Amino acid sequence: MSADENDSQAKQKPEELPSADKRPRPLPKAGRFFEEQTPKIFEAAPRALRRLTRRDLLIFGAGSLGALAGFGYLLPQDTLDRLGVHANLDTPRKERFLNHALSFDDDVAEALYSPNRTVATYSKSQITPLRNNYEGLTPDPSYIPGWRLQLEGLASGLTLSLDLHTLLARFQLHEQITRLVCVEGWSAIAWWSGLKFADLLQAYPPVSQARWASVNSSLNLDEDGNPDPYYASLDLATARHPQTLLATHFNGQSLTVDHGAPLRLLVPVKLGLKNVKAVTKITYTADQPNDYWAERGYSHYDGI
Amino acid sequence: MTEPSTSASMMHPTPRNDSPAAASAPAQKPSTAIIRKHHLLVRWSHWLNVPILLGLILSGMSIYWASPVYQHNPDPSTGNVDYVADIGTWICAHVPGLHHYSSPPDWIYNHMSLGPYLLANALRVHWFFAYLFMLNGLVYILGLALSGDWRALLPRLTDLRDAAKMQLYYIGKPFAVLLRRTWLHPRFTTKYNALQRVAYFSMPVAACLSIATGWSIHKPMQLHWLAAIFGGYNAARMWHFWLMWLFILFVVPHVVLVLTDGWDTLRSMIAGWSARVHGSEGFENER
Repeated sequence: MSADENDSQAKQKPEELPSADKRPRPLPKAGRFFEEQTPKIFEAAPRALRRLTRRDLLIFGAGSLGALAGFGYLLPQDTLDRLGVHANLDTPRKERFLNHALSFDDDVAEALYSPNRTVATYSKSQITPLRNNYEGLTPDPSYIPGWRLQLEGLASGLTLSLDLHTLLARFQLHEQITRLVCVEGWSAIAWWSGLKFADLLQAYPPVSQARWASVNSSLNLDEDGNPDPYYASLDLATARHPQTLLATHFNGQSLTVDHGAPLRLLVPVKLGLKNVKAVTKITYTADQPNDYWAERGYSHYDGI
Repeated sequence: MTEPSTSASMMHPTPRNDSPAAASAPAQKPSTAIIRKHHLLVRWSHWLNVPILLGLILSGMSIYWASPVYQHNPDPSTGNVDYVADIGTWICAHVPGLHHYSSPPDWIYNHMSLGPYLLANALRVHWFFAYLFMLNGLVYILGLALSGDWRALLPRLTDLRDAAKMQLYYIGKPFAVLLRRTWLHPRFTTKYNALQRVAYFSMPVAACLSIATGWSIHKPMQLHWLAAIFGGYNAARMWHFWLMWLFILFVVPHVVLVLTDGWDTLRSMIAGWSARVHGSEGFENER
């Protein structure tokens, strides 16, 4: 309460004020704003207090039970099974609800993306080892000599098939030392060189309505060595990012089969799982294409 | 300081023979003096933290499992690199009744996370609870702002001395009980004593750090500057991990102390009011 307010009150009802309040009050200091205030003491009938407490206890209790039920409902079925809840709670509704959280987060990631913001680059002394993260078996290198990159969904209406020599002869190579971040949490700083995806898009423009690239590798294998084609969706805005490469070299050498010889996608503004190894086909589409890991419960956008 | 305490003693229902008011009003209604302790929004956000933090910790440990921050060289026989898995193995080997646990390295993950091999699920649950946690934090801040109670949380210069006093009290209390000596609680007229203030102030700070480190792990490229504040992407992961432990380490004594302190304290976080109108209720006899 400010001094002014006190004065006006004193003028209105001087007779009701207790004598103690007539003493001049010290002016409020600037530091007063941060000072803890003495709590006002209220008088309440014990019966009313008991009633209020009972009411709040019931409301909070009901709220807690509701929150607990909601919390339990959201747990994965495997966790519920382990907790002894064998009723199947993995309903399509729950999936949709949790996928909303995922797509909301994707929208946030997309809002954070800027075509002009580049990721940090490092010096050669900061390079760390990069493991071969092929999920299944690493393909046999015998595919490399006959490898071609197929382009579909072009403005020309043609399907192009390019070999490595054509690509290396036609496009300028760019070098960058960037961090590759895996969805699992580990990361590695690696030295890459390759052509810019933006240059490829300029040289072979996609159909005008295209907003997505589907980046495929037919060479991917599962754990038993059977073909397990890998595909990632990439929005064209990210494909045009200056640091999005179709990498052909790793640590100054031609890509080895571990790292996706002879050409892999390198998109440092996305999680590692978008960085398709041994790319064999790129298709431009208007609608969002399928994504290998999105089909397995991960996000679609994966912007980091 | 003097004004409210005099009014409190005037309104206090203790009958006094020498008081003229008590003599002239014999049929005085019984009433209780109370103070407002926690704003409704503070109370709701406080309790909502329970399922939210539980969800974040359980899903967070499942995410941690996918690539443990603390790793050693691969174990020659199992290939295990994870210290948390080692702890599980140790527990299963040494705790009676757990010797036949089917997968000892997963023991911690099966009991302190959603479970191993659930990365995609855990990420989804983690984002859901993380956005709720941030919203809940805003509700809490709003409650503090509306009630002005944020002032009671601010650290002050006297805290160092007062915290030492409280620490001394806690250290001496068990001995005093054993020796049947009186051991007086230091008297504070503030809402919280210095140790409480440190604890309750550190929690919103830790929450802010958890959110900041969380974002710097989640978007290490777009928010590179944020990760750089914490020493880069890998360091931010460690911060995020240890901040989780700070929450766990806070919750255990928090619950124990509230339960030993009694119903008034617990009720104040539900109904919002307290009948302890004099700060730490007269343990040190000054009145």
